[in-house]
Amino acid sequence: MAISLKESIVVGFSDFWSRKIRSIVTIIGIVLGTMSVIVVLSLMNGVNQKTIQWMLERGGLNKISIYQNWEYQSKTGQRKYFTYRELKLIHSLIPEVKYFNPTIRRGFRISYGKKEYWTSVRGVYPDFSPIEEWGVQKGRFVSNFDINQSSDIIVIGTKVAEELFGNLDPLGKMVTVHNRRLQVAGVMEHRFMKNSVSIGNDNNNALSYLNRRAFIPLSTMINKITNQDKINGLALKTSTPEEAILLKDKLEGILSNLRRREPVFIIESAQEEAEKAKKNTKIFQIIFFIISLISLLVGGIVIINIMLATIQERTREIGIRLAVGARRRDIFIQFLVQTVIITLLGGIIGVTIGVSILGFISNFLKMELIASFGTIILSVAVSAGIGLIFGIIPAIHASNLNPVEALRHE
Amino acid sequence: MSYIIEVKNIKKVYNMGKVKVEALKTIDVKIEKGEFVAIMGPSGSGKSTLMHILGCLDSPTKGEYFLDGLEISKLKKRKLATIRNIKIGFIFQTFNLLPHLSIHKNVELPLMYSGMNRTQRKKQATKILTSVGLIDRKKHKPSELSGGQRQRVAIARAIVNNPSIILADEPTGNLDTSSGNDILSIFAELHKAGNTIVMVTHDPAVAKRADRTIHIIDGEISNGNIS
Ligand SMILES: Nc1ncnc2c1ncn2[C@@H]1O[C@H](COP(=O)(O)OP(=O)(O)OP(=O)(O)O)[C@@H](O)[C@H]1O
Ligand SMILES: [Mg+2]
Repeated sequence: MAISLKESIVVGFSDFWSRKIRSIVTIIGIVLGTMSVIVVLSLMNGVNQKTIQWMLERGGLNKISIYQNWEYQSKTGQRKYFTYRELKLIHSLIPEVKYFNPTIRRGFRISYGKKEYWTSVRGVYPDFSPIEEWGVQKGRFVSNFDINQSSDIIVIGTKVAEELFGNLDPLGKMVTVHNRRLQVAGVMEHRFMKNSVSIGNDNNNALSYLNRRAFIPLSTMINKITNQDKINGLALKTSTPEEAILLKDKLEGILSNLRRREPVFIIESAQEEAEKAKKNTKIFQIIFFIISLISLLVGGIVIINIMLATIQERTREIGIRLAVGARRRDIFIQFLVQTVIITLLGGIIGVTIGVSILGFISNFLKMELIASFGTIILSVAVSAGIGLIFGIIPAIHASNLNPVEALRHE
Repeated sequence: MSYIIEVKNIKKVYNMGKVKVEALKTIDVKIEKGEFVAIMGPSGSGKSTLMHILGCLDSPTKGEYFLDGLEISKLKKRKLATIRNIKIGFIFQTFNLLPHLSIHKNVELPLMYSGMNRTQRKKQATKILTSVGLIDRKKHKPSELSGGQRQRVAIARAIVNNPSIILADEPTGNLDTSSGNDILSIFAELHKAGNTIVMVTHDPAVAKRADRTIHIIDGEISNGNIS
């Protein structure tokens, strides 16, 4: 002997339609709230994926990098660079490493005829290429033969090639670096990050700095250019991200022994960095999510008020329903369902509008926004949840009315 | 002793802050199954208050009320809703139809709350609307009908569930004589068919249509309970 939930929903729906204008006005608040939720979630999602993509473009998650720690001042004069012999020792202590690339980086002027270009020139091993997952588009990269012979060759980025040679083919041309004549042996692939935050041209792309670089054999750098046995950096790659984390710990032990436990170097694993970056965006995600929730709460409070006003106006109707046999539960569900319909509909409309304006916002902010299935479901669920929570108070109020008093209501 | 309604020592006091209004003072009423009873009395004498108690819309402050042998004053609110739904058909002076629903839906309303399925309740409502002569208006909203027609819809709604008693509080009070007479002839038919009817009225001519009349003055029954 009871009205079914299905019947209550039918009643709630017909209520909704018979009061279209009020329902629509109520919906707008929820629509705006849900829109902001979906946009914020998509923004965060986009930032997250961007970070991962950047990591991947920079050589993947199996990579370990060792830098000089500029913030640290050694009291006992520990060197912030490696000697060639130290590197040979480190390499022999970690036979499990897949790729091994020491680097010397120095700023030089490269000249060709009357043209010159200032840039960062790097002395590297052939392993640079697989570690960075970056190869040549023409010619060849630094080889083991070049390392053994300290060959007088240079491999240049596309920006360097453009600046020095314009439309000429750089291969085989002789350039001068620090009074040394080097032959261009290769031109690197052009680097460009898709969907990146770039305003205007190529030069502002997240990866375009790489195109400005030039590479020579590490031995050439030490023996013929700087004449100093000072190596500033080291990059390694393992087969899996898990191995990279293990290797990082091992390296920390080795370096700490080499430098009397003083932190003159920083060791970074890409895997850990990616996790750190994710954690950072998570905090923002939570903050923005809370802000959007607050706007939804405001929508919810508006709903409480409108529903209470509606119930006040419909007191007599409630009295009539009670008089013909509606139970308190029937009245409660009728009004709760109505509120949930309003917020659910608002949620769906909000998500639809939100998703369809993502492209526009993306252009405006120069950031990528990605709406995942999960974000969409979460946004709709949150708005329906708001309806449930804020629908309860008016629904209880309606179901507690006394039949005789409700019938007497004008 | 086949009383369908048995009211013993019922009292109703409205608590208005400091002032207490004694709307009913010690009322005893017995109504037999199939009787048609009129209730008369001056304005403010407590007729509606008594009807609300009989209709399980309100509970007495004191006393016992048996409906169909069931002690109502001991029941929970939830159970009262069910009693209102299946045992009572209430007709109001002001019709009290839902303005947003068609008259067909209005008549279906008690059936919906009793859990009858859609097809069955459509059939039942159609049958009842036909018997009060309004089936051709079933799609209309109450505001599109005359007062007499609205009251016929209200009667249809009251009897659609086959209630044990029909309670009518001044059902002709808002109607002209001719539509009032239409309503009264429907009551006469319902009475002939064996229904129990309790009707409040101010009009002695209307009260004459009933088997007997109970007079209430100042919350008390004035000339005994059985005429
Ligand atoms: N909810 C209430 N609160 C306070 N007093 C009430 C309430 N309902 C009724 N009363 C009082 O109880 C008394 C009886 O009222 P009731 O409505 O039963 O009279 P009635 O006989 O139906 O009058 P009428 O013929 O005008 O309809 C009146 O004095 C009225 O003011
Ligand atoms: Mg009255």
